[in-house]
Amino acid sequence: MNTMDTQKPQAEPILELKNVDVERTGDLVIQNANFTINNGDYVGLVGPNGGGKTTLILALLNFLPHTKGTIKLFGTTIDKFSAWQKVAYISQNATSFDSKFPLTVRELVSLGRIKKGNVARRFTHEDWEAVDDSITFMGLTEVTHKRIGQLSGGQKQRVFVAKALARNPEIIFLDEPIVGVDAATQEKFYKKLSDLNTKRKTTILLVTHDLTSVFCRMSKVLCVNKQVEIAQITDGLDPNALLKRAYGEHFHFVFHRHECHGVFENDHH
Amino acid sequence: MTIINILNLLGFRFFQNALLGGVIAAAACAVVGLFLILKKEAMIGDGIAHTAFGGIALGLLLGINPLLTALAVSALSVLGISYMRRKNVAPSDSAIAVMLALGFSFGLIAISIAGGFNVELFSYLFGSILTIDTFDLILVSLLGVIVLLFIGFFRRELLSLVFDEDDSRVMGIPTNTLSLAFDMLVATTIVLSIKVIGTVLVVALLVLPGLSALQLGLSFRKTILAAVGFSIVSTVLGILFSASFDVATSGLIVFVAVLLFLLTLAYKKLQ
Repeated sequence: MNTMDTQKPQAEPILELKNVDVERTGDLVIQNANFTINNGDYVGLVGPNGGGKTTLILALLNFLPHTKGTIKLFGTTIDKFSAWQKVAYISQNATSFDSKFPLTVRELVSLGRIKKGNVARRFTHEDWEAVDDSITFMGLTEVTHKRIGQLSGGQKQRVFVAKALARNPEIIFLDEPIVGVDAATQEKFYKKLSDLNTKRKTTILLVTHDLTSVFCRMSKVLCVNKQVEIAQITDGLDPNALLKRAYGEHFHFVFHRHECHGVFENDHH
Repeated sequence: MTIINILNLLGFRFFQNALLGGVIAAAACAVVGLFLILKKEAMIGDGIAHTAFGGIALGLLLGINPLLTALAVSALSVLGISYMRRKNVAPSDSAIAVMLALGFSFGLIAISIAGGFNVELFSYLFGSILTIDTFDLILVSLLGVIVLLFIGFFRRELLSLVFDEDDSRVMGIPTNTLSLAFDMLVATTIVLSIKVIGTVLVVALLVLPGLSALQLGLSFRKTILAAVGFSIVSTVLGILFSASFDVATSGLIVFVAVLLFLLTLAYKKLQ
């Protein structure tokens, strides 16, 4: 299943929202959200600050209750959903841990193998193989035994994805970590996520501010500013019309699809 | 103190018992303490230690083994703190402060009714490992084994909880239950350490070995082993010096632990 030549699986809905409202301390933050995310989608979640991106993610993970509508994960209503081993979440604050925390990269990634309903089990050869595979996949082999506090910003981002990968999730929710990494490092990170999406067929929902990456790399864009709008990214899509509805009339995003080739030279697809 | 002296001491049953009890308590304190430090909740240790004092006073008043009453009262205080947090009655540190004061005042009242401070009470406040009896030694060993086994089994889940509670919840770890269980372990560890170091200074044995180990910049596995090492060295040296010079054991244990902490700080500076 991890090979590149696998046939693209049939699009089946992983996440479905119908008429969903989410409130936070009495304020309506997400209003009447309707969208579906399919198996294998690579979704960029964009929108202005305070528009409700993180709130939406938290509701999708059942950390926040929704006040109206239905959220279904893998076909099950979120309140009854229990197969959390299929889901991985990387929070906005993941990379802002205490830099003196005594954990090596391998130790942190191994925590991703903890399984619901099977706590306190002994790790098998298979567990450690999955841990080392994810470390290799994310290009962290040379820092395997380094403490996580000694990593660079880019490595920190990747180590948390490696931890999520260690348990072979079917969908990853990634609230873009705010770390001071330069554009090139950020681009390498998105490249890794693309690989993950195409090679391992992992569905990815990524909160990001990097609009160029969204329209060049991803399959769908989800615009959130209280209202939620989803669009398939195709050559015919006009990003500006879509973004203006989320960011406001004054917003202007300069983007030409052909520019992607220059920016994303080493792409596989 | 000569080598002969120490060898002589090692031949005595009371001294062997003291070392055994001391090593078990030291190991439990170091392991539990490291998680407490990483959770940034070291003060819950001090809070529970004070409520344990209330339990001891109650035991002395009722003529029950004070370690047993201390265990019961400490467990209740953990439930109280957890309840206040969960129901949002008070933030964590305030909840601990309330329980600390309540437990301690409860102890003072019990002592007054029992007729004031006495030597036995002092032995619980400041420890008296050199006079530990068989029942207490068995109790300490049993509790110590429970604590260490629990942490051994759940180390990854605990580590995950301490490192990132939200992600642990997504992974399906029952975080609330595990947190409560861990706080119960803290209470158990404090009670089993009372004979060794007393309620007043037990927080030192919880915090200092872990802090020293953290200075070394090791992996988690090695950090926990180093903490246990520092804790056992402090306790054993404290007991040895105490028996040789007839000076308070708990004072010496803390003194050695602080010395080791300073050494690790110096080591870190020199690196």
